Amino acid sequence: MAENKKHSEHSHKSHEDHLRETHLMLDPMPRGKMNEMVMESMHTTSWKFWAVFALLSVIVAWGLFYSWGRLILEGVGIAGVNRPSYWGIFLVNTVFWIGISHAGTFISAILRVFKAEFRRPFTRAAELMTTFGLVQAGFSIFMHMGRVWLSYWLFPIPNQRQLWPNFHSPLSWDLLAITTYLLSSTMYLFLPLIPDLAMARDRSTGWRKTFYKILALGFRGTEGEWTHLRNALNIFAFAIIPVMFSVHTIVSWDFAMATRPGWSSTIFGPYFVIGALHSGMGAVVMVLAVVRGTMKNMNYFIRPEHFEAIGKLMLIISMGWAYFFFNDYIVQWYGGDKWTKTLLHWHEAGPMGWMWFAMLIFNVAIPWAILWNKKWRSTPWLIFIVGLLINVGMWFERYIIVPISLSINRMPFTWRLYEPGIEIPLGIGTLAFFVLLYMAASKLIPLVPVWEVQEGHMDHSLKKFGRETVVTVSDLE
Amino acid sequence: MTQERTLLAVFSDIDPAADALDQLRLMGVHDEHMNIISGIPVTEAMLGRPSQWTNVPRLALGGAAGGMLIGIFLAFISPNMYTIEVGGQPFTPVPPAVIVIFELTMLGMLLSTFLGVFLDSYFPSYRPMKYVPEISDGKIGILIEFPLPDEKKVTEVLKKLGAESVQYTEAQHL
Repeated sequence: MAENKKHSEHSHKSHEDHLRETHLMLDPMPRGKMNEMVMESMHTTSWKFWAVFALLSVIVAWGLFYSWGRLILEGVGIAGVNRPSYWGIFLVNTVFWIGISHAGTFISAILRVFKAEFRRPFTRAAELMTTFGLVQAGFSIFMHMGRVWLSYWLFPIPNQRQLWPNFHSPLSWDLLAITTYLLSSTMYLFLPLIPDLAMARDRSTGWRKTFYKILALGFRGTEGEWTHLRNALNIFAFAIIPVMFSVHTIVSWDFAMATRPGWSSTIFGPYFVIGALHSGMGAVVMVLAVVRGTMKNMNYFIRPEHFEAIGKLMLIISMGWAYFFFNDYIVQWYGGDKWTKTLLHWHEAGPMGWMWFAMLIFNVAIPWAILWNKKWRSTPWLIFIVGLLINVGMWFERYIIVPISLSINRMPFTWRLYEPGIEIPLGIGTLAFFVLLYMAASKLIPLVPVWEVQEGHMDHSLKKFGRETVVTVSDLE
Repeated sequence: MTQERTLLAVFSDIDPAADALDQLRLMGVHDEHMNIISGIPVTEAMLGRPSQWTNVPRLALGGAAGGMLIGIFLAFISPNMYTIEVGGQPFTPVPPAVIVIFELTMLGMLLSTFLGVFLDSYFPSYRPMKYVPEISDGKIGILIEFPLPDEKKVTEVLKKLGAESVQYTEAQHL
């Protein structure tokens, strides 16, 4: 009897230890120690970091700035866009980067609203992706524009002939939506960063001290400052969600408002939004796996439990994407319109048919095959690969929707397969610039919102129900 | 003899800080003479403090209204300022106007929320302020500004209630 009791107590203890090891929120450290760890992760930079940084800088110089310079000097003729595919990789990349940017808001705002506690250590890592992703999306639009110096014609100011932009055009909606989202997500990134910048200010010297002092704005953590900040974060969390939905819906309307076969679809709005979340979540796990694997002390903050939770979301989103894809496909296929059926056949059996099948394999088959398993989706390198393939699959999806769909229309004499030119180095350049910005930011701003993690530590505790010990969460927010 | 000085008591936990605030009230210190600084958002309810006033939600509403008006101007008024007939299309169709008005309403609301934090918190402020860096280590500081009747007694009580340090503080550059 006594032995049984002893055994039961021992197994309880080991279960508790296991829970503490597994869950960041049950494994608290003194705040000072966590601050030190985050500061150390910013200050510790290996030669490998600088080697990658230098390589990316060269790629950006060649791919982005030199190639863009050529595009401006020589004109859009050196790009592959031509009749009938006037929209090419520039717009594929625009849609792709806006999609990537959805992850930050999804994780930070939606999970905050629903009080999903696992979000705490990586909200900032995701929000940074939003801001930097939107920068690349903006670049891609300006590249597509060609005469980028005239981009101010899009802004709501009358031009020399006193003509206002046509606000009833989807392209004007795009400008408004992307500008709103870029500004909102940058502000939403900055607000919860202020207390961490104050923390960094208190622990820095030299130029870093000045840098953090300016950015921390004099934050001390008074009751008033926290109240204003909390109120603002609540407003942002709720208000930025419809903005996020509107951005990709409006991007989809750039296509859906046209009466082209394959584009004119009433389901394009939600189909694009779920696609954005699909690629965005894939990108988040990739970033988290790299941050955990390469930055000092990050394996304390980012644990397999986080990959597990994001993996579940990715699986659900993948199912949602498959549902919307099939819904869009079956209605067009069943409709029987001659040109639409020709286009669908072109997607599947045309020269780029391999891309259509790869899209389905990467976006549906592989995520479903791997993410159903808890152990597999908790494995950082494996979920990194899934995230990478999803992103490749989602890029293919946009490529199929934009230039491949444009190459088939109701005038067969214009049919021509799109072949990209300078778009390729420019695309590589924007990707490298995104990574470069992220690497620079990881050394300048605390990637982990330490105050939110500490708040989470206070929220969580273990409670015994009979023989069982369970995790309980209190609502302190 | 009494003089205006600021005492800063630093606590490592919420409970002793809340007890200290109760004790200070019993000793005749009013809430308006006390301020809390902390490394995490400790709510007023946790410390038994009066609610903080914030203008942020009102400013957000004001910004939303302003944004909506700009949206209405762009969608309904600007097309009439230089009319161009295009294929018999209406100058001011409602469905596209909804999109323009929605985006500008949200932009106005979020911009004014952001600016509201700056206005209400007096950001940026680079003046010398009363602060200790331990606060960002998750500590809770009570700043007491009042003519001290019995400095020694107050210090003793605060230390007895668990204050890690109790000291007079001067404003300094952060």
